[in-house]
Amino acid sequence: MKEPTGYEKLGYVPEIAHVLKAVPMTEQEIFLDLRLPGKTELGHAPGQFVQVSLMGIGEVPISICSSPTRGDTFQLCIREAGTVTHGLHRIARYAQLGIRGPFGKGFPLAELFGRDLVLVAGGLGIAPLRSLITYILDRREDFGRLIVIYGGKNPRTLLFKEDLADWDKRSDVELIVTVDRGDETWQGRTGVATEPLAELDLQAVNTRAVVIGPPVLYRFAAMALFEHGLTPETIFFSLERNFHCGIGKCGHCQLNDLYVCQDGPVFRLARLLDRIEAVEAWAPEEDQDR
Amino acid sequence: MTATHLISEDAFASLLDRLIQDMPVMGPVERRDQPGFYRFDRLEKTADLQVAYTTTTIPPKKFFFPPVDEMFTFDQSGPLHIEEQAEGSPFVLVGVHPCDLAAIEALDAAYAFPPADMRWIRRRKQAVIIGMECRPDDYCFCTSLGTADARAPADLFLTPLDEGYLAEVHSPMGSVLLSDTAARQATKNDRKAAEQVLQRKIEAVTARLTTSVSQLADILEYGGLTAVWRETAERCYSCGSCNITCPTCFCFSIEDTLDADLSGGQRQRSWDACQLLDFARVAGGHNFRGDRWQRVRHRWHRKFLYLYRRFGRPYCTGCGRCSRACTADINIVDITNRLVAHFQQEHKP
Ligand SMILES: Cc1cc2nc3c(=O)[nH]c(=O)nc-3n(C[C@H](O)[C@H](O)[C@H](O)COP(=O)(O)OP(=O)(O)OC[C@H]3O[C@@H](n4cnc5c(N)ncnc54)[C@H](O)[C@@H]3O)c2cc1C
Ligand code: FES
Repeated sequence: MKEPTGYEKLGYVPEIAHVLKAVPMTEQEIFLDLRLPGKTELGHAPGQFVQVSLMGIGEVPISICSSPTRGDTFQLCIREAGTVTHGLHRIARYAQLGIRGPFGKGFPLAELFGRDLVLVAGGLGIAPLRSLITYILDRREDFGRLIVIYGGKNPRTLLFKEDLADWDKRSDVELIVTVDRGDETWQGRTGVATEPLAELDLQAVNTRAVVIGPPVLYRFAAMALFEHGLTPETIFFSLERNFHCGIGKCGHCQLNDLYVCQDGPVFRLARLLDRIEAVEAWAPEEDQDR
Repeated sequence: MTATHLISEDAFASLLDRLIQDMPVMGPVERRDQPGFYRFDRLEKTADLQVAYTTTTIPPKKFFFPPVDEMFTFDQSGPLHIEEQAEGSPFVLVGVHPCDLAAIEALDAAYAFPPADMRWIRRRKQAVIIGMECRPDDYCFCTSLGTADARAPADLFLTPLDEGYLAEVHSPMGSVLLSDTAARQATKNDRKAAEQVLQRKIEAVTARLTTSVSQLADILEYGGLTAVWRETAERCYSCGSCNITCPTCFCFSIEDTLDADLSGGQRQRSWDACQLLDFARVAGGHNFRGDRWQRVRHRWHRKFLYLYRRFGRPYCTGCGRCSRACTADINIVDITNRLVAHFQQEHKP
């Protein structure tokens, strides 16, 4: 058979990355700053992910939360969710990690250029969004309004607090942070992320929206955006599935005919609406009679 | 036109003898644990080859994509060291039936689709494949899938005749194989005899889909078949036997094993099955195909709709292995025809 060329790098053998920094961010998340051998740049686009492995424990997909505009290191924010992520929390600081990637289709930068942007994140969704936000801030004049809505459970779970403080200070970022439940120190908004979204004043024709969050966020955020006149063509979701290979082979991430790892993880909502396994776009309680 | 030769049984046997001396030769042998059942295994001698086998439990894809494939080893006793595991050496695969040839070709398409899976591709390039005409049983339905006379990617294809074998040369490697073998040009009569063998085989395949593959894709895409999915799921045990015995299933999982010293180990990929409960489960517990009927539907959709649309061919070759292996006696032909009947019932003019 004919040998395809140019894909050797995309095999299953990871490169060995050095952990420059491993800092706990909250009770659940740890922040990692990594460098590839020879200071090679990762070469990613905002919204892409890497397969991170801890040898002997396993490999998991993690969004790159830094922007390619920022130097020769790259950053990850990892929540402790199970076996591998638990291991990463315990020993990432001492370990050399395996990295494969970057993989997947990130945010549609060409389409975002010149437009007003509404970026909505729930919880850990802020990690991939941070990569995009940083990218936009580094080329600020190329984009229109930048509205960031970030919802967390409570003040203690908020991620990237320094970035949030920076963005909050800037007059060219409209940042709205809200938590489900505040505490004695919290002076910001409370309530779900879709409430401030509903209050926005938007020029729908020139606006693009991105939503990343826990499953419930997607549908309600989309409904609020529809109210503003956005359409399934102008809204993007970044999705999560079970990944093993990250390169469209193992079948684990399949969403109907799509491979979330290759065709996504960022999808135009219109592409998801007629796919019954896109439960983020559909009401899960609706009978999936297809 | 394909070059055809006639080789005697003795000439074929001496060809195999020579090959067995040169390199590993894999072919169908009778299972010692289960007489009457066959498996592809290394032939120690030519006589081990069971020319007249019906089918094997596990398809020959295992030589290109082993059930457990060690991808690399690592050692963390010092600075992390990773060593990719080479993918074996040249070998011959003999006695592959048309449905299984078609399946290898289907997997070639899926694995070469960018980004290509180099592990599959490197192993495939090491193999010389000799195909063999088959004898169908009640489970076979290749005639509904257009694979009854599949030849690619065989280098050489043999049809047993009274006088020996009609050997069709399908690649330069095929003619190399015959170059040192006593063979004569096939005559018109030889070719006719082989055609009759094929015709008789086609007539012997009685299980049939009641629709074409392109219509089946349309029907699945149209949907409204939940009643049949649920009915099927009620019988299904989600054991994954259908996936594991399928020559065109290619899903896998990746996992690590750690040596007892806790510093060395290996990463491997192993066959996985979309019918198993946790195939699409993510951390936190959400399962994107948590209901059994959703997994049953996924299997049909993947074989006859998603991959059909992506690669222009169904990912089923009519070999019948899933029906033979099913612990609940679910027959792929019956269920597919039930889907078609259900659709027709709902859309009566
Ligand atoms: C595109 C993408 C981006 C992600 N970005 C981040 C991020 O930036 N930060 C972060 O903390 N988490 C992220 N996740 C989720 C993260 O991958 C899971 O939390 C992690 O895989 C859990 O693995 P575990 O071994 O700790 O959990 P366990 O539940 O013990 O193991 C789950 C098993 O399923 C496999 N698996 C594969 N994909 C997933 C998945 N998506 N969720 C759960 N299990 C999976 C694992 O390999 C493992 O074998 C992302 C997931 C995807 C798909
Ligand atoms: S993660 Fe393997 S196919 Fe997408």
